[in-house]
Amino acid sequence: MSQKMVVIKGTRDGISIILRRRSDFETIKNTILEKLQKGGDFFKGGEARLLVKEGHISQEEMEQLETMLKEYGLNLKKDHPLYTISFPTPPLPETLILKKTLRSGQRISYGGNVVIIGDVNPGGEVIAKGDILVFGALRGMAHAGAEGDANSIVAAYRLQPTQLRIAGVIARPPEGKSAVPQVPEVARLKDGVIEIEPYYLL
Amino acid sequence: MGQVIVITSGKGGVGKTTTTANIGTGLALLKHRKVVMIDADIGLRNLDVVMGLENRIVYDLVDVVQGVCRLKQALIRDKRFENLYLLPAAQTKDKTAVSPEQMKNLCGQLKEEFDYVLVDCPAGIEQGFKNAIAGADRAIIVTTPEVSAVRDADRVIGLLEAAGFEEPQLIINRIRPDMVKRGDMMDIDDIIDILAIDLLGVIPEDERIVISTNRGEPAVADESSKAGQAYRNVTLRLEGENVPLMSLDVEPTLMERIKMLFGLRAKK
Repeated sequence: MSQKMVVIKGTRDGISIILRRRSDFETIKNTILEKLQKGGDFFKGGEARLLVKEGHISQEEMEQLETMLKEYGLNLKKDHPLYTISFPTPPLPETLILKKTLRSGQRISYGGNVVIIGDVNPGGEVIAKGDILVFGALRGMAHAGAEGDANSIVAAYRLQPTQLRIAGVIARPPEGKSAVPQVPEVARLKDGVIEIEPYYLL
Repeated sequence: MGQVIVITSGKGGVGKTTTTANIGTGLALLKHRKVVMIDADIGLRNLDVVMGLENRIVYDLVDVVQGVCRLKQALIRDKRFENLYLLPAAQTKDKTAVSPEQMKNLCGQLKEEFDYVLVDCPAGIEQGFKNAIAGADRAIIVTTPEVSAVRDADRVIGLLEAAGFEEPQLIINRIRPDMVKRGDMMDIDDIIDILAIDLLGVIPEDERIVISTNRGEPAVADESSKAGQAYRNVTLRLEGENVPLMSLDVEPTLMERIKMLFGLRAKK
């Protein structure tokens, strides 16, 4: 990340606070606060403009910032358009590709499809709004269609999950030691039940 | 400048302390390295007992960190093995008596003077674990062939990776070749399959470990111990030597020998 999340610059007509929204609002607020504290009396009586270069700041958040800046003697100029240079944030990509083994205690939750190039070990969790594909062994828990999409699937090179969930349905492997599957498999919902088939039937 | 190696596992009772004691002794004994072992298990110290040095403790790790004594004063020199030292844990304090920052400083000071600084990590993934890994350059994970121990090892590897450790190495402890052969115990391949890290060594279950632990004499110095031999191999591998895994084949019983003789059972 080369460009900073918050940059405070002095310009001809006052102070510019340039924001790139890459994290939650609380962090941004704290970063600004830190900078203001460092500046001490320097900012007193000045005027500030807010430039949002990435992301979006809501009206309410804007007001919070204004109150905070006031405490340090800065007036937030609101007559300027809020989004001087506005680049729309690119929409979230629909598929997250992860080149990594998910170990016990690690969890991926994503509002799209998830592709994992590696294993998901027991104790690891993958949760996706869409489909889940694992190019490796899926030994942990996978929840596809987490927001209710019953057409979602879970596919893995070796499908040996501790538990599978698709939309609102939960399934676990049969009791007893089951043989390691020798082919890639796909799990999907059929009549409200999770069914597993070899991948080539897809 | 030496290196700091943390020996950790997540689960308790898998042999972290035994491993620390044996690798530490092995490096001093076989390779004449200058080694210090730090017991980071504050409140539940053990390493001093396993090393048979309990009655020589005057100052401990917490005393050093709090400035009660100088670092040199707290180091216990093992008279049996040249160049081997122990920095014991405090028994009357708890893990919060030390911060990761302080451990980092301590390890930094020690590695100026020693070839190896081995940190015996407490079980768990809380404060004690965070302290133990704070100053380490490398990590050795100890596990046993049990599902629960492997699960915890996996969790710890994940945490180590997140903390920036690049290639943790694995020691599989207390393996019982006879049980593996019968299919009653996870074998090495099963474990490597899940953990997917470098194997540093496999230590067979050995009664002599219990004896040597009780006596305070590390098994690595015992020529007749199988586990001791395995620890000697681990020591050499740490030093970059290429030592093949020792054969864990079980001696056939008398009955099996007779059966083999009559060709009733093909030799495995």
